[in-house]
Amino acid sequence: MMPEGSRISAEEALRLRHGSAGDQARLHTLATGDAALAEDLAEWDRQDAALRALYAPVADEPVPARLTAAVAAARTDKRAPSAAAWRIAAALALLALGFLAGWSGARMLHPAGSALAQTAMASFATYAVEVAHPVEVGAEDEAHLVKWLSKRLGTPIRPPDLSQDGFRLIGGRLLPGETSPAALLMYEDEMGRRLALYVTRREGGETELAFAEEPGRRAFWWIEDGLGCALVGDLPRDTLRHLAISAYHGLTET
Amino acid sequence: MPYLDEIEAAIPGLRAFARALARDREAADDLVQDTLEAALARRAQWRGDGPLRGWLCRILLNRFRDGLRRNRPAAVALALVPDQPDPPAARKAEGRLALAEVHAAMGQLPDDQRAALLLVALEGLSLAEAASVMGCAEGTLASRLARARATLRQVTGREMVAQRHGKAGE
Repeated sequence: MMPEGSRISAEEALRLRHGSAGDQARLHTLATGDAALAEDLAEWDRQDAALRALYAPVADEPVPARLTAAVAAARTDKRAPSAAAWRIAAALALLALGFLAGWSGARMLHPAGSALAQTAMASFATYAVEVAHPVEVGAEDEAHLVKWLSKRLGTPIRPPDLSQDGFRLIGGRLLPGETSPAALLMYEDEMGRRLALYVTRREGGETELAFAEEPGRRAFWWIEDGLGCALVGDLPRDTLRHLAISAYHGLTET
Repeated sequence: MPYLDEIEAAIPGLRAFARALARDREAADDLVQDTLEAALARRAQWRGDGPLRGWLCRILLNRFRDGLRRNRPAAVALALVPDQPDPPAARKAEGRLALAEVHAAMGQLPDDQRAALLLVALEGLSLAEAASVMGCAEGTLASRLARARATLRQVTGREMVAQRHGKAGE
C-alpha cells in the first residue's frame, strides 16, 4: 500500500503500463488516487496516439517491388543455400539465440497451450500404437465422421488432406477435452507411420505455430479461431512442421 | 502460417517501424530489404516455433546499429536534446504541426530510446518483449522508455493537448 500522496516511479509505472492486463488494471487503480500519475498516463496515451498517427500509415503505402521481389525469389528458389549464405545463417543463428531464450521466457511459454500439446501427445501415445482399434469411425465413412465430430465439438471441422505428403486419413475418434470434447484424427503413410491431429475448442490466446517434444513423439500446435490444434507424430521435426502447416491450412481454409 | 507468407505479411509493419527508426524513406526500405534477405537466407534453419515478427525487428535493429557504426562512427549514442523547448508561442495548436513536432522530437532521441519507444508504442510489444528484441534487461528498457517519454513531453510541451482539442478544425 502506497502512502497517500506518494507515487510510483515513471519506470515502475511504465513497466505496469506495458505489462500484463493485470498490471495495467493495477496501474489504473493506482492512478485514481494519484493525480500526477493520472496526468502521466494521459500524456503517454497522447504520445502513443501521435506516434501511431505519424508512422502507422506507412504500413498502408504500396510495398516497393524490390521488397516483395526478395520474397518472391525465395518462393521459387529451391536451390540449397550457398556456403556464404550458410555462414551468414550461422552468424544470425548465434545472434538470435539470446533473443530466442529471452523471448521464450517472455512469451512462448503458453501454459494452457503446452497442456494442449501434452494431452495431444498422450492421446497419440495411447491410440497410434493400436493395431486393431486405432479409430472409432474409419475414413471409409468420412462424411459420417466429419458430421459426428463437428456436432460434438460444436464447430465444423474438416480433416485436412495430407495425401500429398503420403499420409492418408484412416479415421477418427472422440476424446474428453477441457471445454468441449476433442477430436483425434489419425493418418497413416505407406510405411505404417502414424500421425494424429488433435482438435478441440479453445477460445482466445491465439498463438504462433509452436513445438513440443516428449520421448518418442513430437508435436506442433497452435491456437486460432477458437480451435486448439496439435499435430503429433514420431517424425523428423522439419517433416512434422511441414505437415502441420498443411494441416493448418486444410483445417482453416474452405 | 508458412514462413514465406509470414515474412511477406510482416513487410508493411516492418516498413513503418524502419521509417520511424531511420527517419528516411530510402534508408528505411534499405533496412527492410537487408532484413528480409537475412531472414530468407536463414529460413532453412527457422524452427517454426518462434515469433517471426519480433525476430525480424531484432534483425532490423541490429542492421540499423551496424549501419550507424559504419556511417558515423563518432557521437552515435549522444544525440543532443535541448534543455529548453522552443517557446510555446512559436508553435501552433494545429494538429499536423503537433505531429511534426513529435516527429522532430523523436529525431532528437538517442537511437536506443527511440527504438524502445517505437517497440511498445508502434509495434505494441510488452515491455518484456521489447527488452527481448533489443537484447537488454527489462530495467534498462524501462529506463530508456522513461527517458524517451520525458524528453518527448518536454520538447513537445502541451501542444498535443491542443491537438486533441483542436481536432474538429481538421
